[in-house]
Amino acid sequence: MTLSKKVVLLGHFGVGKTSLFRRFVDNEFSEEYKVTLGVQIKKKVVTLPDGRELSMIMWDTEGHSDSVEDTRKSYLLGSHSFIYVFDLTREETYKNLNKDLEYLRSNYKKVLIKVLGNKLDLVNEKNTTARLKELEIPFDVLTSAKTNKNVQDFLTNLAEEITV
Amino acid sequence: MEEQDKLKLLKELLLTEEKEYADSIARKVEELSKIVHQKQELSYKVDPIIDDKLEEFVEEIPKTLGPTITEALKEEIKNSQDAVVEALFPIIGKMIKKYIAHEMRLLSENISRQTRKAFSFKSWFRRTKARAHGVTEGDLALSEYSKPRLIQMFVIEKDSGILITDYSPLSEGTIDKEMIAGMLTAIKSFVEDAFQGGDQNLELIEYELYTIHIQNFYSYYIAAVISGAYSMMFKEVLEDQILDFAQQHISRRELDNSSLFTKKLKKYFADDIV
Repeated sequence: MTLSKKVVLLGHFGVGKTSLFRRFVDNEFSEEYKVTLGVQIKKKVVTLPDGRELSMIMWDTEGHSDSVEDTRKSYLLGSHSFIYVFDLTREETYKNLNKDLEYLRSNYKKVLIKVLGNKLDLVNEKNTTARLKELEIPFDVLTSAKTNKNVQDFLTNLAEEITV
Repeated sequence: MEEQDKLKLLKELLLTEEKEYADSIARKVEELSKIVHQKQELSYKVDPIIDDKLEEFVEEIPKTLGPTITEALKEEIKNSQDAVVEALFPIIGKMIKKYIAHEMRLLSENISRQTRKAFSFKSWFRRTKARAHGVTEGDLALSEYSKPRLIQMFVIEKDSGILITDYSPLSEGTIDKEMIAGMLTAIKSFVEDAFQGGDQNLELIEYELYTIHIQNFYSYYIAAVISGAYSMMFKEVLEDQILDFAQQHISRRELDNSSLFTKKLKKYFADDIV
């Protein structure tokens, strides 16, 4: 039986969680925006450097409007990793990021949390990075689900990190 | 005789007939006015005519309006098929259900009659079993006919929804078991959260001919997909069997060694449950 890990995508409405989810699993992108209701689940099998296969069971949750605390708690239980996604073009999607991270870290101590700024194709990377630094917004990677920039590398690294 | 009197006399001689005619017309007008302005009178005169016309109209409708109405209805049904189906669905469903229940009752009675006539060890055993369970022999024979079967069994980690192991007595299907385990867990979590039932758990999902029996344990749950008649009797036997299996074979160590655990699960549930 393959190794399995649960990975949950979190973040505000419209930050591109489902687009990343589709990029991660099917390597597809669509301009059409459809609100996620509840949750959708897909599986991504990643081959680890040691040859083992990892089944990443990805849960794409419905976006929250204010705080990550609004996300249905039962969807977060038993997770091995959270991918917190924010929209680089909308400051309101990361203004509460530190508070949200604090909540997640204190309530899900064993879960590996990754922060991802999405829609890199719509902003100037240099300016945006400077702005995030100025606002003291921590992040692990900046991606574009549309152009696939940094998406697959992020997933491979996450798969390795999650199995350590 | 004065000139004026002569003229008057001449007038009378010439107009008497017209005057009488005019008077008769005035009388008739008055009578008609009475008929028209008095509902009862008018009704007395007009009702028989309307009745005749209506009768004629009713007789003529199928010939004259029938094809037009049929055509219009056909068009309307064609244009709004979804609405028609939606409206008819519950009615048809009830009718079918009623019909099937009636036919099943007849079949059950028929089977009971036939089994009473024939003697064999099997029928004697069934009769005894039926008495013990308080059901008719027919019902028992029917439940034997649509015997519940285990299609697939999943052992799933409760919080994460990660599949620990699964077993299916049938050949391997194309369905993704890990995603099923995840979705089942998401549905379970949603229902349990949405209805705020405290520590209550989702225990059953039904879809058409299948039933998913869910049995909850502390850190995992077992979901058994069953086809056929999922009766209370079957439920109890299945519950006992899962409990026995959990008690004898599931420990933390075994949950971690999934290949060994899978073998045990296969061995334990290889035979028919009931």
